[in-house]
Amino acid sequence: MDEPSLIRSAQRGDLEAFNRLVLAYQDALYNTALRILGDEELAADATQEAFLSAFRALNAYRGGSFKAWLLRTVTNACYDELRRRKRRPTTPLEPESDDGEEIESPRWLADPAASPEEQFDQAELNHAIQHCLDALPANFRAVVVLADIEGLDYTEVARAARLPLGTVKSRLARARLKLRECLQAFWELLPAAFRLVVEREA
Amino acid sequence: MKTTFRDLEQLSAYLDGQLPQAEAARLESRLAADPALAAALEELRQARAVLRRAPRRRAPRAFTLTPQMAGLKPPVPRAVPVFSWASALATLIFLCAFGGAWMGQLTSRSAVPVMESGYGGGPAETQEVITEAAPMLAAPSGQEAADTTRLAEATPTLSATPEAASFTAQEQPLPPQAKRPAVRPWPFVWLGLAALLGGAALYLRWAAQRRFRRRYPR
Repeated sequence: MDEPSLIRSAQRGDLEAFNRLVLAYQDALYNTALRILGDEELAADATQEAFLSAFRALNAYRGGSFKAWLLRTVTNACYDELRRRKRRPTTPLEPESDDGEEIESPRWLADPAASPEEQFDQAELNHAIQHCLDALPANFRAVVVLADIEGLDYTEVARAARLPLGTVKSRLARARLKLRECLQAFWELLPAAFRLVVEREA
Repeated sequence: MKTTFRDLEQLSAYLDGQLPQAEAARLESRLAADPALAAALEELRQARAVLRRAPRRRAPRAFTLTPQMAGLKPPVPRAVPVFSWASALATLIFLCAFGGAWMGQLTSRSAVPVMESGYGGGPAETQEVITEAAPMLAAPSGQEAADTTRLAEATPTLSATPEAASFTAQEQPLPPQAKRPAVRPWPFVWLGLAALLGGAALYLRWAAQRRFRRRYPR
């Protein structure tokens, strides 16, 4: 069954059809939540909450990019979580070792399919990106995650973040600039192979 | 020339191919002439490239929803409310019919003594006394009934006569109006119908729940 048919069935209350859509988009929603929140558990909670909200509000979907519509629900769930976090004592984003020291490149961030060197490189890169994303204000972070990590176009980002197109453009430019400044500090620490790829692409 | 934020916005949009053609052409000519602007474009491009290569994670578990999470309930077949309302209506009709019959029975019971007194007798006890009395005293009323009792005591031999016995046999049956009314079947037909319709509604609901549980096992 194609996506529009699954959406129509889900709108009529077919949970199986909706769950097939969940399986198709859960990685995208989880990654978005993980980048905005920077915490695995919170990202999983936000993703689950987003799918639940999406199912309840499915009749409000009126066409267009379904991915963007779903990403809007997860962005809202992330904003809610960030507001809650402001009211609560913060918890460290990195896991701690036995002596209370934060582990900067935790093993749980690694892709088990990659070689040890690749795992190390990915963990380093991941750490640098997350550190710089966390330094951004939440509304800038959401825009850059949606555009550059999830690959949405400007119209979809505007829809997902509930922002005017002009605001998306300006926030994206500002966020990229800040990220570039932040990543500059990590540049020499980034994997050599990765630097070569980036410089070649540039 | 100093790079302004407006320039950066344009460079970012240009990078994503979101700049109108005329503006893109103007920017390209500026980029060729302004090394600082070209350097800013390069920085934005690098930042975007890093983000695009950010490691992606797989979802740690399936985020599929269960019927409980989604608050789904077994669908109620359309016939269920129809049967339920029909059952309720049949019950109401049964109650009215049964209540009517009962009231009628009460009314007819209370009417018996009146008819008997009209016929010439008093209460049932008086009627029994009369049957033991002499034939000529068989139909008194009120004070006459009391007199009759006294007379019956005074002339016991009279009740023993064959004439008196035959007269008593003729007078003993109650008039037809005083008989208990016959049991009418209609109230019970409505009761049966109500039970049947209610049972059908329950069965349909149960069957729908069974189908739902088979479709979404816990």
